[in-house]
This record gives sequence, C-alpha cells and structure tokens, in this order.
Amino acid sequence: MTRSTTASLSASRRTLLKGLGAGALLPLIGCGPPGSGNDASGPRVVVVGGGFGGATAAKYLKRFWPNLQVTLIEPNKVFHTCPFSNLVLAGERRMESIAHSYDELKNHYGVQVIHARADDIDPDGHRVTLDNGDRLTYDRLVLSPGIDIRWDAIEGYDRAAAEHAPHAWMAGDQTQLLRRQLEGMPDDGVFILSAPADPFRCPPGPYERASLIAHYFTQHKPRAKVLILDAKDNFSKQGLFTSAWQELYGDRIEWVGLSGDGAVMRVDAERREVETEFGSIHKASVLNVVPPQKAGLIADRAGVTDASGWVPVNPNTFESTQVKDIYVVGDATVAAPMPKSGFVANTQAKVAAAAIVSSLEGTPLLEARWANTCYSLINPEYGISVAHVYNVQNDQISIASGGLSPGQAPGTTRRLEAEYAYSWYNAIAQDTWGS
Amino acid sequence: MIMRSLLLLTTVLALTSQGALADERQAERQTALLASSCANCHGTDGRGTMTLAAIAGRPASILESQLLAFKHDESAGATVMDRIAQGYSDDELKALADYFANQPEL
Ligand SMILES: Cc1cc2nc3c(=O)[nH]c(=O)nc-3n(C[C@H](O)[C@H](O)[C@H](O)COP(=O)(O)OP(=O)(O)OC[C@H]3O[C@@H](n4cnc5c(N)ncnc54)[C@H](O)[C@@H]3O)c2cc1C
Repeated sequence: MTRSTTASLSASRRTLLKGLGAGALLPLIGCGPPGSGNDASGPRVVVVGGGFGGATAAKYLKRFWPNLQVTLIEPNKVFHTCPFSNLVLAGERRMESIAHSYDELKNHYGVQVIHARADDIDPDGHRVTLDNGDRLTYDRLVLSPGIDIRWDAIEGYDRAAAEHAPHAWMAGDQTQLLRRQLEGMPDDGVFILSAPADPFRCPPGPYERASLIAHYFTQHKPRAKVLILDAKDNFSKQGLFTSAWQELYGDRIEWVGLSGDGAVMRVDAERREVETEFGSIHKASVLNVVPPQKAGLIADRAGVTDASGWVPVNPNTFESTQVKDIYVVGDATVAAPMPKSGFVANTQAKVAAAAIVSSLEGTPLLEARWANTCYSLINPEYGISVAHVYNVQNDQISIASGGLSPGQAPGTTRRLEAEYAYSWYNAIAQDTWGS
Repeated sequence: MIMRSLLLLTTVLALTSQGALADERQAERQTALLASSCANCHGTDGRGTMTLAAIAGRPASILESQLLAFKHDESAGATVMDRIAQGYSDDELKALADYFANQPEL
C-alpha cells in the first residue's frame, strides 16, 4: 500500500478495523530496526513538529509498532537544538554541531517526513491542513510544537524588536544574531539578559547562558559584565549557580531578582534599553530578552490549550484532556513538576507513543515513568545537574526520586559532570534524530 | 463425554497459555518503555556514546549489581545515577539489567 498525503478518514478507519479484526497487530515493542516501513498499512498517526518531542514520538511509534503509518510534519529540513546553543553563543561550538536532519527517521524507520507547516486542525474530522494546501487524516495525532513567544507581554518587544534585541530562545538565526552581537561588543560592554517568570522553556537555560557568556568575556572581553534582570526571586539550581559564579567569575555576573526590581516591563530594542517595574532604566551593549512564552500556535488551532496558554494532558497518556485522539508532548504541555526540557519532551514522547499503541490495539495501558537530567555548564569544564524520575500518583505527576548535584564537591566531580553533559548531548541527539 | 471434557481441557489450556503469553508480552513492553528513558544518556537500546560506557550486551548480573549499588548509595563514583536509580524498584532494576544485557552491542 502506498501512502498518499490525503487518505480519507473512512479508508484509514477501515484499515484499522480490518487490522484489529484479523488479529494481525503484533507490535514489536523494543525490537530491533524495523527496516523500511514504506509498506506499512496499519493505522495512521500524524506527528506535528520535528523537535525533541515530535522526532522521538515518530521514531518510537515505529519501533513499538513498525506497521503503523507515521507521518511527521516539520517545516525545517535541518533542526538546530537549543541545548548547546549557549556553547555556540560562547564561541565554543559551531552551528553545524547542533544541527540534525531527518534522514534516520525517513530511511531507517520508514517515517514519511513532510517539510511543511501545519496550519489548522479539525479534531472532529481528524484532519490536519498544511500550508501547502494538502490535507491529511489521522487516527491519532501527536503535537509537539514547542513554544511561541508572547509578543504582547513586554511593551515594545515585538518581532521587529527581536532583530535588535534577540531572544535566541529558538535556535537558528536568532542564535547567530546574538553571537555576532557578542563578538562585536566593546571590551568593557554590558550584556543584559532579561529572564521571564515561570513557567518557561528550560528553567536553568538563562543562567547557563549568563555563565557561558561570562566565560567568553574572561577570554575575549576582559572588562565586560553580565547583568541578569529577573522577573522572579528564585531560579533553578540557584545555589549551585551563584556559588559557581562567585568561584569562577567574581563580580562579573550580577543577578537582580523580582524584589530587587528585576522585572523588565518595557524594551526599547533599538537603543538597547530596558525599563523595570519600578522605573529603573538599564542600558546594554548587547540586550537578550528571554520573553514570556506559551504553547506553539498550532495547539491553539487544535483547541487543546487552556486559559494559561499551555496544554493540559492526562498524565498517564499525554492525551489532551480537552480533545480526544490528540496527544501533546514537550514544552507545550502543563506537566509540572517536570520542567520544559528536551530530555523530558523525549521521554514524554515515548510514553505517548506507547499509550497510542495501546489505545489503537485495545491492550491495557502501560505504567508511565519519565526521567530528566538537565545539565548546565558554568564553563566548558564545569558541569552541574538536576535529575529526577517521575511517576503518576493519584492522577498527578509526582517525583519518584532525584535532586541536585551536591553543593560541595571537588573539581573532579564538576569536570566529570561536564563530560557527562557532552555525552548526554550526543546520546539524546542520536536517540532523537539518529545522529 | 471423554471427548467433551478433553475438548474443554484443551480450550482452557489454550486460553490460559494465550493469557500467559499476553501477560508476558505486556511485561516485556513495560520493561522496554522503562528502558527507553535510559537512551537519553546511553543511546538507543543502550548502545553507548563517547564517554559513557555502553550498557548494551553487558552481563545482566553486573548491570544489576551496579544499579543496586547506585540505588543504595554504595557506588563511590556516582554523579547522577544514584539520584535516578532510586526511582525504580529492585525488580524493575533487575528487568532493566536483563533488557540491556539482551541488546546487541554496537
Ligand atoms: C538556551 C536553551 C538551552 C537549553 N538547554 C537544554 C538542555 O541542556 N537540556 C534539555 O533537556 N533541554 C534544554 N533546553 C530545552 C529544550 O530546547 C526544549 O525543552 C525542547 O526543545 C522541547 O521540545 P519540543 O519538542 O517541545 O519543542 P522543539 O524542540 O522546539 O520542537 C518544536 C518543533 O515543532 C515545529 N513546529 C512548530 N509549529 C509547527 C507547525 N504548526 N507545523 C509543523 N511544525 C511545527 C518547530 O519547527 C520545531 O521544529 C534548552 C532550551 C534553551 C532555549
């Protein structure tokens, strides 16, 4: 059976029913490479978004059930990861080293990859409309669209402003723009990073960025400073960050929290000026605004977001609580206490893939369990981490175990954790995109 | 009469073994799902990367005793595995050890 981009709903339903009736569905969870799935004739799953959550979902759906027809929709041919983009900003890595393609998904796992944007979703008709006009039907839909910026949250910070004061919170052109600005900065300049209130993508991300840029300054801009203006009073791994900053950077990094008047309310991007809640004006040489965020727009179009702008899900399956047969994973979801991390998006996608297989087959649901380790680099040889395992208790996502790197530890431990961070990056990129 | 009870017996036996097979498959899938989280640092199916030793194809008994040592804080060199292993029961750690021992090495 060849797959066309538009199959009628009734046809795919028929295939599903036939398969179930014939008892021919023997998903091979955990089995070896399925080879090309181009002759797949099972139910159809469409995945929107080829980042950490979406690419993992597509791969593990095929691993769990090679006969599924899996289609991945992602506009970009090359995906740049946010993880390690802070090393690119610091001049320690090149863009190519954080770039990944969809070759393994296409060639090894038999996922149909369509480079287009999903514009609309019709949950009743089980249909996705693409920006090239094509329409696809699905038996189950996975959304992993990541974040969108709330362009209305900070006065003066709109799309045009981001060309002067980049957010660099989605990796790609914005990363390169911020890197060029840092390189061109005067020797005694001030880099200002405005950090948002919770929840947002990658809770330790702003502080890792400040650290690695401070490291770059020690090498190339000896008198330059880093000022973090923060819309909250507490942040991820705060104790570990602040003592490492003291140890490695002295007073080069200054952090101003919410109660110290750290919340940025207005941005004048061309002048690289910000105004805080109580009217202080700060002028930067390079201004990086990490703005408030919400679930990627397509989640709104599917009707799965709530008033918070994020997507509530059933913790056991990651199916939307609002719309049947739509599973949402990654940053777009409300999944606290899990952070919005690539690691978490990847493990959520595996749980959702297994739940989709169970629901299509009518077999009992497996018990969900997720893990997360977020490494942060204070400099290229100094790593810290937060690691947790999560399970479901009383229908809530709960912490099963975990914690932070020790507060007091020898340099060898920090060095080892940095090495493990590099190793983690290679492993998760391999697991998600195949390289 | 004898024929009827024989038939009944075979049916019951067939159903039980089907049930057992289904349970076994369900258990295998549960382990595969648990094991999939390990891939984020150890590679798909534990086939390893750079610094971290590959875990695929290592003897199950060694993997199990290492996991238990992590869990019970008896592994001096641990950085994150102590924090993670505590999130799994001893039986789950054994199942994970068996799972990775049975994966082909790269
Ligand atoms: C500076 C920084 C550092 C970070 N460091 C780490 C780290 O060290 N470890 C870690 O685990 N996490 C880290 N993260 C977090 C990580 O990047 C995110 O949590 C992760 O990308 C979330 O995965 P996702 O699938 O939800 O979204 P993404 O990975 O962003 O993928 C979303 C994809 O969906 C596509 N898309 C969106 N809308 C549509 C549409 N309508 N149609 C088709 N495709 C669409 C996009 O093009 C994109 O490719 C970091 C983030 C930042 C900003």
